[in-house]
Amino acid sequence: MYEEPYRWVEAVGNRRQYLDEQFKQGSPVVALTYDGGILLATVSKGTPKLYEIYDRLAIGGMGHPTDLEKLRFSFLEMAHVEGFNRSPSDVTGSRLVKYGIAPVIKQAFEEVYKAPFIVRILVAELGQKPEKDALLTINYDGTFEETTGRAVLAATPAVQTKMMSYLKEQGTVTLSLEQALDLALRAWAIGSLAHQQEETDQQAETQPPASGAGLAAAAIPSADALMAHVRGIAGGRTIECAVLDRQAPGTSKYRSLKPAELSRLLPKSLQSIVVS
Amino acid sequence: MGMHGDFLQLLKEQGYTLGVPTAVAAGHTLTNATTILAFKYRDGVLVAGDRRATAGNMVMYDRTDKVLEIDRHSVLAIAGVPATAYEMVRVLEHSFKYYRRTQLQELSFDGKLRAVSKLLKDNVPAALAGTGAVVPVFAGYDLEQGSAKIYFYDILGAEFEGVEYAVSGSGSPTIRGILHYVNTWGEQPLSALPEEQAMVQALRLLTSAAEFDSATGGVNREASLYPIIKLITGAGVQTVPDATLKPLFESQVVRYV
Repeated sequence: MYEEPYRWVEAVGNRRQYLDEQFKQGSPVVALTYDGGILLATVSKGTPKLYEIYDRLAIGGMGHPTDLEKLRFSFLEMAHVEGFNRSPSDVTGSRLVKYGIAPVIKQAFEEVYKAPFIVRILVAELGQKPEKDALLTINYDGTFEETTGRAVLAATPAVQTKMMSYLKEQGTVTLSLEQALDLALRAWAIGSLAHQQEETDQQAETQPPASGAGLAAAAIPSADALMAHVRGIAGGRTIECAVLDRQAPGTSKYRSLKPAELSRLLPKSLQSIVVS
Repeated sequence: MGMHGDFLQLLKEQGYTLGVPTAVAAGHTLTNATTILAFKYRDGVLVAGDRRATAGNMVMYDRTDKVLEIDRHSVLAIAGVPATAYEMVRVLEHSFKYYRRTQLQELSFDGKLRAVSKLLKDNVPAALAGTGAVVPVFAGYDLEQGSAKIYFYDILGAEFEGVEYAVSGSGSPTIRGILHYVNTWGEQPLSALPEEQAMVQALRLLTSAAEFDSATGGVNREASLYPIIKLITGAGVQTVPDATLKPLFESQVVRYV
């Protein structure tokens, strides 16, 4: 029945609806540049969401763990084969995304007989110089965006916009790792609260679902309130953080922050919830 | 196959082969690389190598690095054909990284040893044809067991554990005897030497090798050319800078006879 163009468009539309639904329970991911590199942060339950891809590349993901795992392997394979055959400096996030991963995701999304990838991926790339640092986000339909300085993954575009504008409001001052972590967690809380808000809105059916207008209008909670939210949720989960550290010895710049280091960096109110 | 974290397998699926056996044409002399040694000292393991690459009587290059870091805790020192050796190091480097990143855990020390053997085995046809013989020494720090380890290989890929020390290359017969003597009847066994003493010992050994083997480059002070010495401890691999070796060489190695 999909041979007719109209049916196909309809099928793809249904697919969007189905996929949007899948991310509702997801945990947002935040990436920020700081004075020593790039920080990635999220709060995960069970399966990790941040991974090392290559010497200067890392990813963060939202969605189905198996799909993320499949694409992570594609990333790793492409990066390592390219790095071996050419050189590590030829392995760039933008090449991997544009010519490798994004087309695969797009194809799976449009082949309506097959299952799509239930993923959103954030790619962080540490440049040789700070001004070369790059961040990319890929959506479940294969569209991607390149940004610098900050990037987020969230359940809906509205929430994403809300988190991004919060991050932008904090100015463009270069942050220390400690400050970046603090800001990243606050942005995460904004996203997480917005997810909850959308859920309740939809259940109440008083507002048009996910219009974004209501969300943007809602007042931004204070920093303390945001941290309280993180504390409330992170209790039963794991605050997961990783950095691409420009000063790291050797060629691999990725390091996931272990409990000891993390609790030293976290704001006081959160230190107690990191199990070391 | 990616699920197994085997990078070499991945390369092979894409049509890669390591050693291509080609007979050496008459009149051609291949580039060779020469004296390498590794021994355990108090804090870990020291790996050293001279810097000369030769082809027959010709000195090809006097600044070769034959002690190559594969990851933060392991080093491959090479004697033999540099072209093949460097390629092996590149494969190993990517293999270990690929394993760590895909499997989310470090490849075990035994796994790393096995990887070196496998590469040498793949290289046997080329080695026997004369174009790719490599005789490496693999040294590293086994973090799980908290101890330094040294292994040496033959060109077919058999792996032998060098309990206290291992040597390879054309200058190695000279220093093998010295190492045995020093370790057995010296004031203290090699494994008890503090860091500085170990470095002095390595400089003396390489100088002795250069004395008797024309294919081993000694220390060339005018050109400020010192051997490569790397120290592997629990904290990782550390390359000793020339600025450290220079005073040690001048005060404890040079003899004006």
